[in-house]
Amino acid sequence: MKILIIEDEVELAKDMELFLSREAYHCELVANYDQAMEKVYAYEYDCILLDLMLPGGDGLSILQELKKLNKNEGVIIISAKNSIEDKVSGLKLGADDYLAKPFHQAELAARVESLIRRKQFDSHNTITQNEVMIDLQAKTVTVRGEGVVLTRKEYELLLFFVGNKNRVLSKGALAEHLSGDLADMFDTHDFVYAHVKNLKKKLKEAGYQDYIKTIYGSGYKWEI
Amino acid sequence: MKRLLNKPLRSFAIYSLIILLVSIPMYVLVIDYIWLTELDENNWLTLEHTIEKLESNTYSSEEIELMNRLWSELQPGLSIVPIESKAPFPDSVYQVIRPNAYDIDDEEDRFRGLKRHVLINDTPYALTIETNVEETDETFVAVALITLFFFVVLIIGFVMLNRKIAIQAWRPFYETLTRLKSFELSKDQSLVLPASNIFEFHELNQSLERLIQNNVETYKIQKSFTENASHELQTPIALLKAKLDLLLQQQELTPAVSELIASIEAPLSRLSRINKNLLVLAKVGSHQYDHVEVVNVKEILQDSLVLFDDYVSNKKLKLSVKTQSTRVSANIYLLETLLHNLISNAIRYTELGGQIHIDVIEGVLQISNSGVSALNEDQMFDRFSSLTNQKVSSGLGLAIIKEIVTKYDWNVDYSFDAGMHHFSVKFD
Repeated sequence: MKILIIEDEVELAKDMELFLSREAYHCELVANYDQAMEKVYAYEYDCILLDLMLPGGDGLSILQELKKLNKNEGVIIISAKNSIEDKVSGLKLGADDYLAKPFHQAELAARVESLIRRKQFDSHNTITQNEVMIDLQAKTVTVRGEGVVLTRKEYELLLFFVGNKNRVLSKGALAEHLSGDLADMFDTHDFVYAHVKNLKKKLKEAGYQDYIKTIYGSGYKWEI
Repeated sequence: MKRLLNKPLRSFAIYSLIILLVSIPMYVLVIDYIWLTELDENNWLTLEHTIEKLESNTYSSEEIELMNRLWSELQPGLSIVPIESKAPFPDSVYQVIRPNAYDIDDEEDRFRGLKRHVLINDTPYALTIETNVEETDETFVAVALITLFFFVVLIIGFVMLNRKIAIQAWRPFYETLTRLKSFELSKDQSLVLPASNIFEFHELNQSLERLIQNNVETYKIQKSFTENASHELQTPIALLKAKLDLLLQQQELTPAVSELIASIEAPLSRLSRINKNLLVLAKVGSHQYDHVEVVNVKEILQDSLVLFDDYVSNKKLKLSVKTQSTRVSANIYLLETLLHNLISNAIRYTELGGQIHIDVIEGVLQISNSGVSALNEDQMFDRFSSLTNQKVSSGLGLAIIKEIVTKYDWNVDYSFDAGMHHFSVKFD
């Protein structure tokens, strides 16, 4: 999987690369508009992470260029501008997703994974983790062939875990994933406990091998 | 408070009253003087004429006596009576007040008389002529009444003129006042004051425009500084967050280190929240949120509440919601921000198991939550004024609410009764 990270803050780009490279992702980093255009013209990527404020040009015009070239790459806008106008115009110009800075790396990883999956499998789309199978189309979960009824939030949590397997997820990251912008209006994210507890209980009753581990003091991990 | 224009009106009225009051005795004296001199002259003329005729005809004393009798019957103002002294006395002018047979209303009348010594056939006579003259007090009453009448006319004139002047000459002033009242720095409006050909108003308007222009500039600079500063802060915050995420993935973290890392997250997210709110605050007044549409507060509220489900149930809060369809013209994002801030405040500051009531009724949104004592209203909506010692808030939530409410000319109010905090936003 090839990912192009267009981000002028090199340090941040490197962190993203480091975090993502634990999957089978190969990342390329560019820090300005011209370099970005060169790469976009010359190569194919599975996913492009695009910062809108770039030295030498507007990130939005890279999107326009991609559209003109009839390229079908998935684009996630990563913007510090955090303005709804940018979000709307970015999505209109064909971006697949929008993530406002600052974000949790786990959130980015989950979105990248989900985007690549969407692009790769059009109709039949399932995730299998040993005995656990998630049908993304029908939004159902089975363990050893047996259906597990999850609430919407439990289902989203499970996807988030699976998309970040073997990574430690902090409560903050989980809370932000579940309630988005609202999460940072509160300091306590205790409700995450309840959802994780319920999810674990339901999966365990269906007979999964206890992949969700509690990491003392920091959060949870889907260990497989 | 007195109105500016009524102040001179009062003084003018008092001044003219004094002048007119002083003028009354003056008029009376002058009129009286004219009366008397005219009458004296008239008496003298009549007397001259009579004497000339008497001297040219040589009347006998019988005839004169007859004449006097006839006069006293027909012309009572004139009399001629014989006197003892042959020696002539000078003309005497006198004044008497005595009853008048023909005047029924008035008991007594004033008379002006002239008495002269004449010799007819060597017999001395006193020739007297008397004419009725208006009494001074009657003149006084008449003059006073007329003066009073003109005083009333004068005051009516003043009031009407004043009103006319107020409408015409002071119009630019009042217009300036109205525009100043509706001017708000945070609304990014320019102040255009009406042109005036009156020097003082022209000066006033120019000074005001300059003053406000400076304020607007300063305000804009401050705003863009805030905006730029928080933009600049976003990157290091994003970096910190990314580093923490990476740190968390390190193998062989001891529980103590893990806990430390986790405890950095809370202040970091608070920093990020303050920064984000500063940015929102700086941008509310800007043109970024100018896209306005008619939205139903009820729908937006219901959508928002779903997002808070977890936080409400986590604190075991009793939430009751009553909503009517309420349409307002606003930017959706700002309306959502307003609601999110109000709801999250209510959730944050309500004790475990407390109550929250949300009503949208007749154009008023009221969010009430249980609490112990009233909050200090004075600086409630100021930036970074901490109402509680809880360090959870960004200190900007209420300031953002106030900013949004001001932008749309809505109203936000706080009250506390029966153990409930009430925040109400009046739309329209």
